[in-house]
Amino acid sequence: MREPSNPLEVEYGQPIDGLTTARQPAPAGAASFSATYVGPAGWGFDPASEGGTARVANHLLASGAGRYDRRGLARLLDRAGATLTTECAPESAEVTIWGPAADWRKLVGLLADVVLRPRFAAEDLIRVRRQVAERQLRELAQPASRADRELLRATYPEGHPYRSSGLGDVRSVACLTPEKIRRFHRDHYTSGDAVLVVTSSARLPDVEATVREHFSDFAERRPPKLRWPPVRAGSARTLKIELPGRSQVEIRIGGDSIARSDPAYSAAFLANEVLGGRAQLSRLFQRVRERGGLVYHASSELEAMRFGGYWAVGAGTGGERWTKVVPMLAKELDQMRIRDVGASELRQVRESAIGEIPLALESTSDAHELAVEVAYQRLPGDYLSHWPAQLRKVRPREVRAAVERAMDPRHAVTVLAGPLGGS
Amino acid sequence: MPRSGVHRPKVRSLRLANGLRVLLAPDGASPTASVWVWYRVGSKNEWPGITGASHWVEHMLFEGSPRYAKGEIDRAVLKVGGELNAFTDTDFTAYFTTVPRDHLSVPLDIEADRMTRAEISDEEVARERTVIHSEREGNENWPEFRVEEELFQLAFRIHPYRWDALGRRRDIEQMTADQLRAYYRRFYGPRNAVLVVVGGFNPRATEAEVRRRFSKLPAWGDDVEVREVEPPAVGVRRSTLHGPGTTPYLQVGWRSPALTDPATPATIVLDTILGGESRLFSAGMGWRGRREHPTARLYRALVDTGLAVRATSGWNPRFYPSLFTVQAQAAPGVSLDRLEQALNRVIGRLSRDGPTLKEMSDVRTRIRRGAALAYEGATTTGFRLGYFATLRSVALEDELYRSLLRVSPRAVRDQARAIFRTDSQVLVRYEPTEEAADA
Repeated sequence: MREPSNPLEVEYGQPIDGLTTARQPAPAGAASFSATYVGPAGWGFDPASEGGTARVANHLLASGAGRYDRRGLARLLDRAGATLTTECAPESAEVTIWGPAADWRKLVGLLADVVLRPRFAAEDLIRVRRQVAERQLRELAQPASRADRELLRATYPEGHPYRSSGLGDVRSVACLTPEKIRRFHRDHYTSGDAVLVVTSSARLPDVEATVREHFSDFAERRPPKLRWPPVRAGSARTLKIELPGRSQVEIRIGGDSIARSDPAYSAAFLANEVLGGRAQLSRLFQRVRERGGLVYHASSELEAMRFGGYWAVGAGTGGERWTKVVPMLAKELDQMRIRDVGASELRQVRESAIGEIPLALESTSDAHELAVEVAYQRLPGDYLSHWPAQLRKVRPREVRAAVERAMDPRHAVTVLAGPLGGS
Repeated sequence: MPRSGVHRPKVRSLRLANGLRVLLAPDGASPTASVWVWYRVGSKNEWPGITGASHWVEHMLFEGSPRYAKGEIDRAVLKVGGELNAFTDTDFTAYFTTVPRDHLSVPLDIEADRMTRAEISDEEVARERTVIHSEREGNENWPEFRVEEELFQLAFRIHPYRWDALGRRRDIEQMTADQLRAYYRRFYGPRNAVLVVVGGFNPRATEAEVRRRFSKLPAWGDDVEVREVEPPAVGVRRSTLHGPGTTPYLQVGWRSPALTDPATPATIVLDTILGGESRLFSAGMGWRGRREHPTARLYRALVDTGLAVRATSGWNPRFYPSLFTVQAQAAPGVSLDRLEQALNRVIGRLSRDGPTLKEMSDVRTRIRRGAALAYEGATTTGFRLGYFATLRSVALEDELYRSLLRVSPRAVRDQARAIFRTDSQVLVRYEPTEEAADA
């Protein structure tokens, strides 16, 4: 059988000790490889009153593993020409290694050390706690992060995974101990409900053999359960956060949305692209920046995750202009709900989204991001190849219906953070 | 593999009769093609009253020409699935477009058009003024931006590096469309540009297309040498800014050599030893953002000891002598006095003793590894080729690479002594004025 060489095709292997393995062919000519472990270790799993646990645990993975302390690990990576990155989200946490393609086996072994045998040294925890404490302050002081924070807090009830950015608070992070972090690691960096994605020119059987060699001793196979309090859609409301001394007001309008597995996802994806997701082609950019000349950035995002999602419109403008900008953003949102998108506008945005797929395959790391998304969302291996056809099936009325389901302005929260001037 | 060890694709270089330098780097396997145009104009070419003109002209080059009405450049690229953007620095302005490989003609047509025929109308200038203000305001929300702007303003009294590429607020308010048009006409054109085409294309056909589209352009565009020479730094210059923020922050700067100075390799090594990486030769992330480097001296002395939550060095090699900077964000509860003392101790020790042999060996390994994977993807390749070609030549990368592997610990120590002079330090502190409150 011919080995697939198209980076759009993700091949799934046999689960190894409960761990799903996926392999993506590297882009032609790539000299690098990449591998990512994604597990159920996001901050939605933070124990009650221990906010920040997931983020701190994830961050600490890069601070020493197996035989190597933090500096030893850093030196090893430098010598290998590799980089290690960690990332935490509400539902999951990731660890990615990137490096020379020729050394992929050795680097998968190193990734296994990082994921399975982290050190969680007390002095590293103290350092990361300090760093998180400063980030907590930054989240409150910076208009952009403050607006994001208040939007999520206003949208989701207490205990909901999406309610926070996972930084915890001063008290919860101060109480974290190496034992608590180890316990969280044992229960959440599991093989069950986790995936290991490798982007490499190696064949799938080789990838499976290497993963089996290095990833066969998870402490826990059973995945944890995510708490999921119901979200009640309230009526539209506005929150104003006065932050004096800043130059710009950050505006967010948003709310609860759909999961990636929702049948309306393709239509909702296009709705977001038309509204503000497709850069200069989108309505928000055209109306507020190009015609209005009022902002530098105006865009929208649809964050459709495995179990749910949220949407947000974002813009930043001077303290004396936000009163003009907010109604413009709101009007564009309403138009999306009230009127069908024109067929030619929809076609233009859709073909742009389809046309850019080759750009996502320029380098190993770009292509790898796509594969991680496919595998994490448990999408079929040929999902990316069928994505264009999926988008071309969407009709204008479906886009409008998706707005009502996935980004309904009637239940949106508007947040303004910055120098509002007492307005 | 090229002899130098930098794994760069093969490049064909040519110069058109009108002065345009062209670099073609075909890669038959690439699904994309990336077109970059670099102009040797940046905030170094401005003067008080029109600071920010380079950046504003960059914005205006998306706002229309006789061939492309306002918004059509964006639409032409995006509708084929491409991406485009531009950025302005002190020394250059760069435009890039990456498209699926079958659509290479789209960016070539756009760039040939706006190289000499952009329209900068009064109406669009008026509209863009607020957009530029807004971009600046967004940056001003960050203490780090305000500190760096102040640092360069303190460090330079004559040279145009003393203002940020975004320009001063007052100049953004007052600059006229006439001034912007004159600026564009003077500095834009084939003579002052480098065109880089990278990715999946037929080399012969593309060279013919480049010649057809660009050869007919008039030989415009002045590459103007900056005549203002900053006198040697004398004395310590300090400033303290107050404003909203998290914890105290400080940035220290010292005069540093120009990119083409023989001392550049030793300065890159200094940056790597202090901060953990150099932007020019870094595995993976160098151009995309900085990572934590637990082995770097600043990190060990300031972050590991609990004095700072972040600490790094930064040296952007520039066309003219600029600043080598070191910056640190205090940990909660740590004063700037303590942080500054600790930082000066790190610098003092490096100047006194130089790097260790192990550090030198680690730096060389990092540079070798970084160079091996520096060129992956058409967009990144276009950036690197254009950057070196604009500042001097693609060969500069090889020269730097070879020199970096030969730098001695003594040369690094001597360069540390030459740069980190305690009598010519510039320092800006940022003191937060408020406790960030929960809602």
